[in-house]
Amino acid sequence: MAERSAKIVNKLGIHARPAAEIVKTASRFGSSITIVRDDLEVNGKSIMGVMMLAAEYGSELLLRADGSDEEDAVSAIAKLIESKFGES
Amino acid sequence: MDRALTGIPASPGIVVGPVHLLRWEVPDVPTHIIPDDAIPAELERYRAAVERAKERLAGVRDRAAAQAGPEEAAIFDVQISMLEDRDLANQVESYIRQNLAAEKAFDVVLHEWRARFAHHASPMMRERVGDLTDIHIRLLSILIGLPDHDPVDVPKGTKAILVTHDLTPSLTVQLDRDAIAGIATDAGTRTAHVAILARSLGLPAVVGLRDATLRLAGGENAVLDGSTGTLVVNPTDAEVAVFQHRAEREERDEAELRLLATAEPVTTDGERIVLRANVDLPEESPQAATSGAEGVGLMRTEFLVVGRTTMPDEEEQYRAYRRVVEAFNGRPVVIRTFDIGGDKLPAGGFPHEANPFLGWRAIRMCLDESDLFKVQLRALLRAGLHGDVRIMLPLVVTIDEVRSARQLLDEAAAELEERNVPFQRNLPLGVMIETPAAAMCADVFAKEVAFFSIGTNDLVQYTLAVDRGNVNLAARFTPLHPAVLRLVKHTVDVGRAAGLEVAVCGEMASQPVMVFALIGLGVRQLSVAPRAVPLVKHIIRGISAELAVEAATAAIASDNAAGAERQLAGRLRAAFGDASFLGDGLLVS
Repeated sequence: MAERSAKIVNKLGIHARPAAEIVKTASRFGSSITIVRDDLEVNGKSIMGVMMLAAEYGSELLLRADGSDEEDAVSAIAKLIESKFGES
Repeated sequence: MDRALTGIPASPGIVVGPVHLLRWEVPDVPTHIIPDDAIPAELERYRAAVERAKERLAGVRDRAAAQAGPEEAAIFDVQISMLEDRDLANQVESYIRQNLAAEKAFDVVLHEWRARFAHHASPMMRERVGDLTDIHIRLLSILIGLPDHDPVDVPKGTKAILVTHDLTPSLTVQLDRDAIAGIATDAGTRTAHVAILARSLGLPAVVGLRDATLRLAGGENAVLDGSTGTLVVNPTDAEVAVFQHRAEREERDEAELRLLATAEPVTTDGERIVLRANVDLPEESPQAATSGAEGVGLMRTEFLVVGRTTMPDEEEQYRAYRRVVEAFNGRPVVIRTFDIGGDKLPAGGFPHEANPFLGWRAIRMCLDESDLFKVQLRALLRAGLHGDVRIMLPLVVTIDEVRSARQLLDEAAAELEERNVPFQRNLPLGVMIETPAAAMCADVFAKEVAFFSIGTNDLVQYTLAVDRGNVNLAARFTPLHPAVLRLVKHTVDVGRAAGLEVAVCGEMASQPVMVFALIGLGVRQLSVAPRAVPLVKHIIRGISAELAVEAATAAIASDNAAGAERQLAGRLRAAFGDASFLGDGLLVS
């Protein structure tokens, strides 16, 4: 199992479009992917779940993957979040 | 059934065509239990429907991208992702395995999801309920085999009349102008989003029909008359002939008015009026530039924002403003900063408020979200290099708001300087006078701003405490109420004494009787929809300022709006005879 924390750095937070991008990225991997915010755990391959996190600017997420490509999966998602989804 | 439905005339013109009924509502789904041996086929039916819905959405997305741009289309990618959601599919399929028919299984799950989103603490989540509702409707329609209500699925060249409850921005993005020739809605008033949009697109529209979507089945032949506010269903040949005759006459009148494009807007006694155009979308600027308008008196910028998932960045805004400024080739372009909130919600979502028109909107929101506001100010400063750009602040009630905005404008300039990006310094900064507070304190504002522009819709709404979107109050929304006329006159007097330009840029500046009243109150600058420029010019050229002053003086002393209107309309008719266009916007005839 691979784990990594990530901080939301784009101003608008994880609104619909970034949520769709996270899901798209997560779905490229075979590992099961969970995203945790405080006591809420959601499936990283489900847009409804990711949106449910309502992760606004500055919030901390924990990315967790379990499977053969777990390391690549968490680092790809962390990178996407750090890139601010092309926003400011 | 009564064949003639009467609503509120929202955008002039006559169209004869088939009704395209858009019932964008979640249908009722009866509980239906399936036998165990039908489960595999039912799962298959559900998956096929999801695939079909995704295909349809991809088509909608591509068309929206082509017509409105990739930012507007992004919302449909989100809806596609929602349909692909594994959690969603697992829940629906588990209900099907418990012997629920596919439509009921999906209906139950979507109702749960929508409730969870709707009650979420985060406004960002609540904003997305609309997308869930869209896929809820779309998939159920496919599963139940409802007639196709897809707004974009009308073949090109159909010239259909779109009949729907209300035209939301997300539906507007999908509107194909080659297929839809007219709009009729149950909700709305003359000044609602849909009415303004229809006028700027030049589509005939009737709003406030109350229950047209319930009375129609779709596919009927109909006549929509946007000038009188009627929708006639299954007209006889003789009725169609009468409407067509009127349509031809209106077209002839309009062609004659268009000849006025190059004529000067000057009254019979030599008062020169400056006539500018309102522009909603950059795409409209070429048409506005050839209408005979001397620049833009109001460029609304919210249409860059509504119905999108992200805010437009500095570069995108700069390109949009520059396009308008260049189309007007050095003539003044007054650009209003974001007037979002109220009925125009921005990207990303904002809190639902009990009283949005008294809430966190326009300059209030911009000052509180200063990073977002400075993006717009930087784009405006840069666009200023390409022509005569003037910045206008909406909904101000205190001079403090002007001072804060000016401070942010200075910061925006400093940021551009730091980045070495060229921009125009010292753009004129003016205010909208659209609250009684701003009108009464016009003298305070006059000392610190470059111009006033009176926004009549909001001034009427806030003065009379009448919600302009409330169909039950439409008759109480009276721009000629003496209280409104007095506030306009006070603003004009104060502004002129201080040597400021005072313009009127509301929708009603295009109604003949209001043009007459405004000139009588001393207004010398009007800004109207491009389509209305020739008509307003025709009115200006047919009246004397002296008669207008006499009429306005009598109107302002009247007991009520009806009395004011009698004073104005009587004299206006004396000047023009019984011309058909005088009826537009009149309460009594």
